[in-house]
Amino acid sequence: MENKQLNEKESLELIAQMIRNTQKKMEKGSGIPFLIWGYVTIAVSLTVWYLLGKTGNQHWNFLWFAIPIIGFPVMLLVLKKKKTTLPKTYIDKIINYVWIVMGISALIPSMAATVIHNFPVLFLVVLLISAGTAMTGLVIKFKPLVVSGFGGMLLSILCLILRASLESILVFAALFLLVQVIPGHILNYKSRKNHV
Amino acid sequence: MFKELDPLLHSELRLAVMSMLLSVEEADFVYLKEQTKATSGNLSVQIDKLNEAGYIEVERGFAGKRTRTVCKITPVGVNAFENYVESLKSYLKL
Repeated sequence: MENKQLNEKESLELIAQMIRNTQKKMEKGSGIPFLIWGYVTIAVSLTVWYLLGKTGNQHWNFLWFAIPIIGFPVMLLVLKKKKTTLPKTYIDKIINYVWIVMGISALIPSMAATVIHNFPVLFLVVLLISAGTAMTGLVIKFKPLVVSGFGGMLLSILCLILRASLESILVFAALFLLVQVIPGHILNYKSRKNHV
Repeated sequence: MFKELDPLLHSELRLAVMSMLLSVEEADFVYLKEQTKATSGNLSVQIDKLNEAGYIEVERGFAGKRTRTVCKITPVGVNAFENYVESLKSYLKL
């Protein structure tokens, strides 16, 4: 493309063509944030479940805060290393905001749980994160995310029913597999296929 | 009565850049170069002209160890683009 003058019709055609070109392909590795948060949460959940079951010492519950402590630096590292020349769209911006709001919302019940006895924190966290997954799926029009998100929202009730027992932690971990890990792998697979 | 076409936008490369920036939040120089198939030198000159007119913002930074130039359309640019399309419509009697 050079710097030549166009006639009016050519100008309109060029505008339409360029706008069409920016309709973004799914970016390679789109599922990585889902996988980071999913695997970190599952690993921490299983550790807490094991230690609580073994010792009965409730102080092990403070280990839950290892999720943001590990998750945020890993995310920052991955984002910093990300090499992409694809444009940042308004959809990317919306998804970022959805997850910032959901992430902060999930931290609040976690803090409340440290002072309120038998607070249904696992239920609330799964509900919020599943809602984030469903919203992301709706925004990017990606069915597996929508299905797993709404599925997770519905199944989060299990964490509420079982909240007094240790099993609720296992259910919580299983639900993170459903709403983060599985959709993360599907997203990565699809984005890899789009780039072949 | 025909409206005057903005000379800054009525050139192939600058119009292509503005059209792409209109539909995204921000775009990398490398991406604009790939899409327009322009030479780096020519694209740089045209981006500077749009930047000087206040139509776009240009941020130069680093992504890892390599330099990265990111362009973003400004409200002035959006306004100019809308006026340009309106002028085009008057020429084409749309």
